[in-house]
Amino acid sequence: MSAALVALAVFPLAVALVSWRAPVAASKALTVASGTAAFVLSLALVPGAASGHVAAAGSLLRADSLSVVFLVPTTFLYATTAVFAAGYLHDGSSGERRRYGRRFYAGTNLFCWAMAVAPIVNGLALLWVAIEVTTVVSVLLVAIESTDRAAEAAWKYVLLASLGLGLALLATTILYYAGSRVFGPSYDLTYAKLLSPAADRFDPGAVRLAYVLAVLGYGTKMGLVPVHTWLPDAHSEAPTPVSSLLSASLLALSFYAILRYFEVTERSAGTQFARTVLLVFGLASLALAALYLLSQRDLKRLLAYSSVEHMGILAIGMSFGARIAIVGVLLHVLAHAAAKGTAFCGAGSIVRKFKTKDMARIRGGAGLLPVSGPMFVAAVLALSAAPPFGIFRSEFLIVTGGLSDPADAVVAILVVLVTLAFLGLSWAATRTMLTPAPEPHAHAAGGDPSAASVAAAARGDVAAGAVAALSPPAGVGTDLTRGEPSWLIVVAMAAGLLALAVLGVHVPGQLSELLHRAADQIGSAR
Amino acid sequence: MAVSSRAAGLLAAGAIPASPPSLYGGLADVVAVLVLLSAFAMLRAPMVRSQIRLYAFQSLAVVVLSAVVAATHHIGDLYALAGLSFVLKVVVVPAIVLRMLDRAEVDIAGSTAHSTATMTLIGLAVSAAGLFTVGAVHLRSTVLPVAGLAVAVAVVLVSFVLIVLRSDVVSQAVGFFSLENGVSVASLVVASRLPIIFEIAFLFDLLVAVVVFGLVMRVHHGRASTLSTEDLDRLRG
Amino acid sequence: MGQVELAPGVVQALQDATILFGAPFVSGAVAHVEARLQGRRGPRILQPYYDLAKLFRKETLVPDGAGFVFLAAPVVAFGCYLIVPLLIPVLTTFGLPLGYMGDILGGGFILGLAGFAVALAAAETGAPYAQLGSSRAMTFGALVEPTVLFVVFAVGILTATDLPYALAATVRASASEVVRPAHVLAAVAFFLVVLADTGRIPVETHSGTLELGMIDEARTLEHSGAPFALLKWGSAMKQLVLYTILIDVFVAPWGLAGSRRVGPVLLAIPALIGKALVVGCIFAVVDNSFSKLRLFKITELLAAGFLLAILAVLVFYLGGA
Repeated sequence: MSAALVALAVFPLAVALVSWRAPVAASKALTVASGTAAFVLSLALVPGAASGHVAAAGSLLRADSLSVVFLVPTTFLYATTAVFAAGYLHDGSSGERRRYGRRFYAGTNLFCWAMAVAPIVNGLALLWVAIEVTTVVSVLLVAIESTDRAAEAAWKYVLLASLGLGLALLATTILYYAGSRVFGPSYDLTYAKLLSPAADRFDPGAVRLAYVLAVLGYGTKMGLVPVHTWLPDAHSEAPTPVSSLLSASLLALSFYAILRYFEVTERSAGTQFARTVLLVFGLASLALAALYLLSQRDLKRLLAYSSVEHMGILAIGMSFGARIAIVGVLLHVLAHAAAKGTAFCGAGSIVRKFKTKDMARIRGGAGLLPVSGPMFVAAVLALSAAPPFGIFRSEFLIVTGGLSDPADAVVAILVVLVTLAFLGLSWAATRTMLTPAPEPHAHAAGGDPSAASVAAAARGDVAAGAVAALSPPAGVGTDLTRGEPSWLIVVAMAAGLLALAVLGVHVPGQLSELLHRAADQIGSAR
Repeated sequence: MAVSSRAAGLLAAGAIPASPPSLYGGLADVVAVLVLLSAFAMLRAPMVRSQIRLYAFQSLAVVVLSAVVAATHHIGDLYALAGLSFVLKVVVVPAIVLRMLDRAEVDIAGSTAHSTATMTLIGLAVSAAGLFTVGAVHLRSTVLPVAGLAVAVAVVLVSFVLIVLRSDVVSQAVGFFSLENGVSVASLVVASRLPIIFEIAFLFDLLVAVVVFGLVMRVHHGRASTLSTEDLDRLRG
Repeated sequence: MGQVELAPGVVQALQDATILFGAPFVSGAVAHVEARLQGRRGPRILQPYYDLAKLFRKETLVPDGAGFVFLAAPVVAFGCYLIVPLLIPVLTTFGLPLGYMGDILGGGFILGLAGFAVALAAAETGAPYAQLGSSRAMTFGALVEPTVLFVVFAVGILTATDLPYALAATVRASASEVVRPAHVLAAVAFFLVVLADTGRIPVETHSGTLELGMIDEARTLEHSGAPFALLKWGSAMKQLVLYTILIDVFVAPWGLAGSRRVGPVLLAIPALIGKALVVGCIFAVVDNSFSKLRLFKITELLAAGFLLAILAVLVFYLGGA
């Protein structure tokens, strides 16, 4: 088992280094292999973590139930995104294309490595380091298109995320200080120490301060309102596979960091405090995101705000505190990852087809994209918590947990806001996918795709979107014929939908055991 | 245990404001206050280059603080950290940013959206809030003093003000660096015995962050031919 | 001989005498050092005494329309500068009987009264430069005032009294008090106040004849003869008083007499003058290292002083440092 941990911490890094030099086609295959291997390895960790914890490499790596709950979706997305990216990125033999491909694959692998390492490092200091690495790499990935809009998004992202991580580092320091009362002036912030009974005697004032700083700091990366402002920009301007990783995986990992602080805080500073802080941020996020979902024009921003919404649901679910709600929250992490990953794959397919992210220009997607279109609709429905998918089950558990507490008003607000979000998402999906396709003569008038638009498409979706924005409606020069841009995208989406259905219909035994154990670990303060 | 309870007694006495602090505590606090003052100076510095010099000065103060802490607590590792931060934060980072500015050949005057007085007053208000917050949570330590922590939080908040009120990329980046210095002060004051490996990891992370800031700055400058962030408002909704 | 105790009144008179007769010497010495710094030979160190002696022999002219205020103001100001040394630790570590008739704020008020009298006299003349000087002096005075107040507050909460003697005693008590941030900040803020109040660069060119940049100097342009001598002397005394407060209250309250015995008291006089010379040299160096600020930038310097003073209070009161 510990070999699996070490392998997880080494292989993606090695692949990242190799793909910096290797030809793009090789890195493509290597990334898919590495993602799949990582997913299998993380699944192999499930039984061990469900019954205890796995440690490796001295005290550097440690996987307990909570870690693995977050590790599994991360590696799952690594695998599916690798497949998706293989289908989504254009091949090209020009020097610029090759450079782009190298950068993209080296960056993506490094990004996935940092995200896979974050939940399995042992201790809050290393966790901070890992999350900082994710920021640094993902900023470069957001800026990779080097358009005006990408530069703007990257700047906002790097600034806000760095500020947030600055606060998180302060939180780490102050928590260390709080613990020095128990463990003496020199110790390391490992989870074994933080979860030991001695942690109950941490200085409560310092722990409170650290907790609030951590929620604000990591919350910036998680996309909690009011520190979410970078999120829609970065998600919409990054290449779609990167958006998918950001949205489905990175946000959840920041939530993982907050949960680590939550565990300590509820023991030493009281559960009520820890929950109230999360409740406030969660409600704000959910409310704002639900409103923005109703009036969104950009497809990728739509999905980004949906992430803000789901992060709000996670925070609110934690604040309920009932065991069943916590199980729901953890399941929600898994299900949201699968659903958001699939939705972004679908968005990638749509963007490839229509060469725009503007939803006013996307019509008849289900007809033009015979497989990925309906699958996108299914993913969006899953995101808005329709049965039989996993998010339905997890939100159901969260609401049940909320009702078992005397927090009825919050539950009511939660249900109303989730319904609003459902309206926004399903309206968007309906008008883009289930409408009649534009008249075929529109593109016939454009004739053959000009060399310029091919080049634009080759640069990725953002540049193409800009071209589409300049061209007349109905997209002159786009190829609006029925058919899939890439079957690899369909494979990735199918994997995601399958995972969603499994989580929704019946959570496999060991996974369910894992979730319950993690919930017990978090809620052990009661 | 007996030792620490005696230390607790001493520190409890130290909590009464009028009693004198230890020479070490006082020195450390003065250096921390210097860091805070340089953050204020950054708020009012109109020229982009002078801000970078102020950052170098601020980092120097942090280096001095690590040396002071190392000397009083006899932590050999911290000397190494001090040396490393000197090289990185006082020499390399300011040099990199200055070089980048030379290449960019743009407006040397930074942005001044608000008057100096306004910014200073806002800075004063937030640092008062920071000092008050740390005071209000009643930190009690048996091993380490807390006053420096309050000042460090104030530094962090003033850096926030700098980032929010200035609208050019250099000021904002310098704001982040200064925030990081504030966090360094905090970790030196309250967590000076944190295993050195973490401290070094933090430092290298900063360096990487600098590189990324630099890259994004260059992309921005390459696209917009300006260092101002006024026009970064295309993405909305 | 060294064991004989002096009467309190005598020590008090000595305090005044030290300021009265030491001030021109300090001014002359600092001017000399400054000249050397600029590569000039400079005036004799005792030149201010000769200047005063000469001025006292000169005729007194009064501008048309100026009333009794014009002639009374120099006397009032001079009187004020004689009262303040009674309130602050000039020679002794302990307060003498009259030392408790005013606290640090009281001393500030009396200095303020002196400035007011001079400004009033300048306004009385109706001469444009004198009025310009007095209005500027009042403007910047109003900006310096809050800084002084916050320095006083900082002193107040550090020592729980508002007596300059008490702060000096606290500082003497342990070296760690000197490095306390609140104390350092208050001291630096006071340093800036002294810089502004003694008409030094970067606020004012104190030895020039450039009327447009003048502030304090311009106020006395219309005076002549004995009243002018009093004003000159007064401003030298004001400078020494401010130096004394900076030294004996904030920075280095050592070398003061601990008792009224003749030896220590007499030793304290050269000690004070020596320390004042050191401080004067520091000011001279500052004077030579910076260029004069534009008039409208002076507010920023004063704002910096204000910031320091307010931080001194905040850091101590809220941060416990």
